[in-house]
Amino acid sequence: MFKLEKRFATEIIDHARAEAPNECCGLLAGENGTILQLYRCDSAEKSAYRYYLDPKDQLRVMRELDEKGWELLGIYHSHTHTEAYPSKTDVELAFYPDALYFIVSLEKPSEPVIRVFRINDGNITEEDVMIGQ
Amino acid sequence: MTVKIYIPTPFRAITRNQATVEVEGETIQHLIEALEAEYPGIRERVFDEAGEIHRHINIYVNEIAVENLKGKDTALVEGDEVSLIPAIAGGAIPFTEEQIKRYSRHIILPEVGGKGQRKLLNSSALLVGAGGLGCPAALYLAAAGVGRLGIVDFDLVDLSNLQRQILHHTHDLGRPKVLSAVDSIGDINPDVKVEPHQAQLSSENVKEIIAGYDVIVNGCDNFPTRYLLNDACYFLKKPMVDGSIFRFEGQVTVFSPGKGCYRCLYPAPPPPGLVPSCAEAGVLGVLCGIIGSLQALEAIKLILGGGDPLVNRLLFFDAMTLEFRQVKIRRDPECPVCGDHPTITDLIDYHEFCGVPQGQVVS
Repeated sequence: MFKLEKRFATEIIDHARAEAPNECCGLLAGENGTILQLYRCDSAEKSAYRYYLDPKDQLRVMRELDEKGWELLGIYHSHTHTEAYPSKTDVELAFYPDALYFIVSLEKPSEPVIRVFRINDGNITEEDVMIGQ
Repeated sequence: MTVKIYIPTPFRAITRNQATVEVEGETIQHLIEALEAEYPGIRERVFDEAGEIHRHINIYVNEIAVENLKGKDTALVEGDEVSLIPAIAGGAIPFTEEQIKRYSRHIILPEVGGKGQRKLLNSSALLVGAGGLGCPAALYLAAAGVGRLGIVDFDLVDLSNLQRQILHHTHDLGRPKVLSAVDSIGDINPDVKVEPHQAQLSSENVKEIIAGYDVIVNGCDNFPTRYLLNDACYFLKKPMVDGSIFRFEGQVTVFSPGKGCYRCLYPAPPPPGLVPSCAEAGVLGVLCGIIGSLQALEAIKLILGGGDPLVNRLLFFDAMTLEFRQVKIRRDPECPVCGDHPTITDLIDYHEFCGVPQGQVVS
């Protein structure tokens, strides 16, 4: 069971809504498996069916994490028209087996859904998530 | 020269958990080879079988991407910092199973394909008027999957509309046309977001309304709106698919900003009362379907970017003889709006320009 603080869930949804209909993306970092910070990132591809986290943002965040001694815990992105489940593209481009992949779906705009997965070598494992305080 | 390399987390198992390592190399290529010698397994993560940098690996020298330098041949100097960054990317599949089925007849057309269909789904069009022309145009644009459709009309559904305005049904009598349009389009294609604008276009609201759309489809039936929309589309650089109907005859053309406008064709409106409206002169219902469908076709071509749009051509259709004729039209260098020395550079009072009292507008 993975615990996601409500403020992070809210921020992921806010970010997704702000970028809709395009996909948004960002990073979640912290220590000992606890998320301490969310980093909104730019997508280098503005598309409803694609995200490509701006490598410059990525570099900046990665450096910051190394300085703070934090680890990259999660990568989030939105699906603005489809369900919160990794697509073929998501799986093919999942190069971070140690990170959790958070997908927020705006398929039903008034009922956003966040689901969390581990994607390792083409295999998708869903994690149970509890959104709490 | 010694260069510091930033190792991304997924590769740190290879570098014995070190976040940065230092190796020597004259170029990126040499550097990766040197890295491979010390930490076997790195090379295949960075280069593909052809020896090129994997598409999903970004390499930065200091803060500059090597794709903006000389790629793997980028020269390095003492003290440079190289970062290896596997992409964080992905994306939803373009279509749901239902969409693949719904748009299959489009997707199998090489000229449309999945790419074109995605363009349609990501595009928007504004229909000015939910009347004789706007109704059939809206139906086809919605069925084609144009993702967002705006509809401007201030009017209510009247029994005399139903002979040709096929978005509206008998049970819609008395309802705002834009709302019955929302219902009809939703029934045909729930993918389409319909944005009703129950308003009469005016110099005050036209720019704000048209600004949010890729293509404007003009199905209005009066001269003040026609000139207003023409000028606003030119000022905001919006392509406009123009259509008009009268009794048994119709006209269609596409105005592409900078390639001529309605004023190049008709610099001034006819005197008020000279040209009777459809309400006064009548119109064959099915003619609206033909002209409105042609407008939808041209809008789809503009969105897809294919074929030869009806730019600089005016198409006439005569329903009685069933003849299509075309004439060439050109941008008029003397045009007061889009000519070489424009005298009208912002919206004006179109009712005064057309000599029509305010509010006298039908759909």
